[in-house]
Amino acid sequence: MGIMPFIPKILDPVPGGKTIVNMVDYVVNWARANSLWPLTYGTSCCAIEMMSSSMARYDIARFGSEVFRDSPRQADLFIIAGTITERMAPAVQMLWEQIPGPKYSIAMGACTISGGPFRYDNYAVVRGAEQVIPVDVFIPGCPPRPEALFHGLLKLREKIMKESSRNVWKEGALSESEERNRYKEAALAWAELEKIKDEEMALAREQFKTNPPENYVPYKAVRVQKETFPEIERVNIQTQGKSVEELFKIAETYESDIKIFDESSDILDIVVSKEKYFHLANSLKNDENIKLDYLIDITAVDWNDHFDVIAQLMSTKFGHKVFLRVALSKKEISDETKATSILASLESLTPLYPAADFKEREVYDMFGIYFENHPDMRRLFLDENFKGYPLRKDFTHPHIIPKPV
Amino acid sequence: MLPSVTHPIGDFVRENVPNVLGYLPDFIQPYIPSAEIATLINIIICMVAIAVVGIAPVPVLIYMERKVCAHIQCRLGPMRLGPHGVLQLVADIAKLLFKEVYAPKGADKFLFYLAPIFVLTAPFLNLCVIPFDKNLQVADLSVAIPFILAMNGFGILSTLLGGWASNNKYSLISSLRSGAQIISYEISFAMILLLVVMLAGSASLGEITASQSGHFWDWWIFKAPVLGLLAFIMFLVSSTAELNRAPFDIAEAEQELTGGFHTEYNGMAFAMFYLAEYINLFTTSCIATVCFLGGYHAPTIGILAIDNILNFVPGIVWFLGKTFFVVWIYMMFRWTFVRPRVDQLMALEWKFLLPVNLLLLIFGVVFLAFGWILP
Amino acid sequence: MSKNILLPGFREPPVDEDFEEFYINMGPQHPSTHGALRLVVRLDGEKIIEVVPHLGYIHRGMEKQAEKLNYIQYIMMSDRQDYLTAIQNNLGVCLALEKGAGIGVPERAEYIRVILAELSRIASHLVFYACFGGDLGGQTVLLYGFKEREMIHDIFEEVTGSRLTTNFFRPGGSNKDIPDTFVPRVKALLKHLEGALSDYDRLLTKNIAAMDRSVGVGVLSKEDAIAYGCSGPVLRASGVSYDVRKNDPYSIYSSLDFNVPVFYNGDCYDRYLIRFQEMYESIKIIKQCIDKIPNGPYRSKEKPIFKLPNGSFYAATETAKGLYGTYVVSTGGNSPYRIHTRSPSFGNLAALNTMAKGQRLSDLVTILATIDPVIPEIDR
Repeated sequence: MGIMPFIPKILDPVPGGKTIVNMVDYVVNWARANSLWPLTYGTSCCAIEMMSSSMARYDIARFGSEVFRDSPRQADLFIIAGTITERMAPAVQMLWEQIPGPKYSIAMGACTISGGPFRYDNYAVVRGAEQVIPVDVFIPGCPPRPEALFHGLLKLREKIMKESSRNVWKEGALSESEERNRYKEAALAWAELEKIKDEEMALAREQFKTNPPENYVPYKAVRVQKETFPEIERVNIQTQGKSVEELFKIAETYESDIKIFDESSDILDIVVSKEKYFHLANSLKNDENIKLDYLIDITAVDWNDHFDVIAQLMSTKFGHKVFLRVALSKKEISDETKATSILASLESLTPLYPAADFKEREVYDMFGIYFENHPDMRRLFLDENFKGYPLRKDFTHPHIIPKPV
Repeated sequence: MLPSVTHPIGDFVRENVPNVLGYLPDFIQPYIPSAEIATLINIIICMVAIAVVGIAPVPVLIYMERKVCAHIQCRLGPMRLGPHGVLQLVADIAKLLFKEVYAPKGADKFLFYLAPIFVLTAPFLNLCVIPFDKNLQVADLSVAIPFILAMNGFGILSTLLGGWASNNKYSLISSLRSGAQIISYEISFAMILLLVVMLAGSASLGEITASQSGHFWDWWIFKAPVLGLLAFIMFLVSSTAELNRAPFDIAEAEQELTGGFHTEYNGMAFAMFYLAEYINLFTTSCIATVCFLGGYHAPTIGILAIDNILNFVPGIVWFLGKTFFVVWIYMMFRWTFVRPRVDQLMALEWKFLLPVNLLLLIFGVVFLAFGWILP
Repeated sequence: MSKNILLPGFREPPVDEDFEEFYINMGPQHPSTHGALRLVVRLDGEKIIEVVPHLGYIHRGMEKQAEKLNYIQYIMMSDRQDYLTAIQNNLGVCLALEKGAGIGVPERAEYIRVILAELSRIASHLVFYACFGGDLGGQTVLLYGFKEREMIHDIFEEVTGSRLTTNFFRPGGSNKDIPDTFVPRVKALLKHLEGALSDYDRLLTKNIAAMDRSVGVGVLSKEDAIAYGCSGPVLRASGVSYDVRKNDPYSIYSSLDFNVPVFYNGDCYDRYLIRFQEMYESIKIIKQCIDKIPNGPYRSKEKPIFKLPNGSFYAATETAKGLYGTYVVSTGGNSPYRIHTRSPSFGNLAALNTMAKGQRLSDLVTILATIDPVIPEIDR
């Protein structure tokens, strides 16, 4: 860090030198504290609030921080806006490494404090930015308001103003040193106080029970009148296009051994065998009376003993929807490898609907169902070396923290 | 280049150095090159002056940019440091001074650090030829306009070096883009200046200024009716591209290339690029002032009572006033328009600006030949 | 032997043996990828040969986590998918739950829903306007778009208590009643918004530089738009008039008078225009509703424990980004057996490669801005 560490070494022994060092420190800290250039980085909801804070209404420029740098090499402040997932964590670390020192970071939002709403029962989210990089200021909120971000910024300023060239900024120093110990000490001291308070309260309660004050009238709770709401009849809106019966009749002309999955549903849900699936989809797409030209989505359900793959199709011309449902039996393999291996396969719809490309990859990623003839069968959301398929019912992951009941 | 021959300070130094040296003992006298010493002193004075003139407007410009940008966007801009945030820039520069500097892995370190030095050289050299007031000029070159063009050409070198040496693909694309862009716009830039040279009959900036003496309609923007105004607009457009400023900042294009050729620069090296951008802006505005807005001449209007008051104000005040007006135009330009694509930018130059500039040049000849210039 | 190696995900064969192709990685931290999207671009000079999106940088496992939450808690999750249209996502989830449980909605609640959803659409399109201008290089446009959006968020804050993540609707109505100040504030906003929008229209719509950057750029044909599963403004800019509000109406949209703007060129400029038109249409809808909000209950009778019967239910809404579908599979409990979101940005992003092929690198930014993706919604 250049000449800064040498200033106190040279000047401190000199009479009056300490004052000069303090003055130099003050000027340098003042400059650093008032010219925090943030890095343009945001992953989710908090990023929008971060953007709002630099916009006309809130105007972060008043504090001199409007110079959002896109390159980490020119930034000083890393506002971690939004959830950090396990796939993102290496990138966050790399960005932090690329920021030249002295650098500071603000963890914005609940996700960067503890994982926030995604703390429990989640396999993908890093529980807090502190697990990845050292953090100076935490801002609670989901997402925090721009004012809260400014408060965090001002807190960070206070922190920077207390720095000194005698104890010069070092990378990683923030994560271990006294800061952390102080936090722990404070937590312990607080716990101690709480304990005393609890004891005193228990004592007071005991006393109150045995020896109540003279003019004591027991308080009677009055229940607040709860608002009551009427029960209202549901008006089912007429579905568009052809009716379920009509559609089924046409579909039956192409494949005879199909049946309706749920009779009560207003959307035709056809159960079709694995072999006929592609052929039926192809026929229904090209049929002039049905014309299912639009793939809404492909998804799957894990019914413990088998998978259901559901292709949700729609016609942009008529507006009716048809769901094709294929039941895929799971491959019989030993229990140890079952969770991490591909258990079923199905023909891909990509030749018919290019949209199926990403959607089938998602199903592959989440359920471990292989799609034949797919041009690019890789995992979509998770790393290639991720173990297991999350949306299966038997999925377990070491990073999951079960929610305490 | 030796400092100007006729400058009063230079003359003063030249006259007095032999007198001062005359007090030295007699036996050293024949060995003392008094003329050379005088020249050396003159050079040092000039260098200090240029450094001051070059650096001093930058904080003002950056503060102005941040405030103009803020007000155009319904914001306030820096407010907290000093009254209305005037100390913001001090904090920024001081922070950048104490920031870690490092070159990325795989970068060509020598060229990487050479680029920010080069980038500051060109605008400073340009400042040498600009007449800030009647006698406030380092060197009144007779070839000032070609000199300015040459220096601008030298300026891109830093962009190319920085982009290549950074070992970053964004920087490389950016430097290729800016190379192509500046070489193209150099041509229209030169054409416009050539027109002014033709009208004024001289390539020396001192004489160009002198040719605009008189009232405000004697400035080249008005003196050649319509033609001057058109040429001024053309100058603004092509110099914006030359300056690499938004909306023609395809080299830096934040949204595409994250920062372009200075993506990998940090700390002071980045500050140099930042500084050079604004010195360049100032220099180019100075050239616009000299060539079109009458340099240091007061905008006299022909009524003696008022003219006397106007003439009483020093020339440098008029000069800086006009320069900052041009800077303000650049800033309004920057925050209003969206950025064209690289091929559209090239098309604009080769298919529109260049033919128009050639036409203007031809009209310049016609104007001169028929004497359509205001007396 | 060719020097050009194909990175994973790229499918086009190398064009020429002689020239060296150039890969550029954009993201996950990049100013114009709208969050945590990562694109790998294969370039021939400045010309794009192929773009491959790498997703999952903000994959938060919402669908898995939802299996452990109950239905009402899941509404909170939908806020965090597309945070720009959080209230419309709430609506989408509630529609599916109402369909499953067979709950009716009182009329007052329907009006509240429609007004808030349309306000949210305007807010989202204003962000699009801002980002579109900003990505073209007009920083000032970026700030103007956010200016009016703040006013809409003031209203949201007053009604729902939160600026972004509203968590407001419940099966059978809404969480709370609207305050008395709601109607005058919305009226004042509409009055202001019309003037502001026409200003912004003048600023960018006929701006030569902006038109040069967007007309004829990133053309998506009608067939491709349908085949890639695009929806919302991206689909309608390509000449397909499909809007869930018209074609598969929910709430009280069938009784309202509004147009679905359709453009036919399918380029970036049309996608920009269509969003502008939609803002005007939304204003029209709100104007129709704001005076007619009936008195009465704002929700129907709530159950102590919300449960769905056995079965699977699907409901779609039109959010600002497009078709937002919720697919719930229930086994009778109070938490979903499986809940799946059909997010509009996911479908729209699939067409990115088709749009960007053969365009310049700068155009990629424009195209991405006009797709207007929200990455947490894609990754979930």
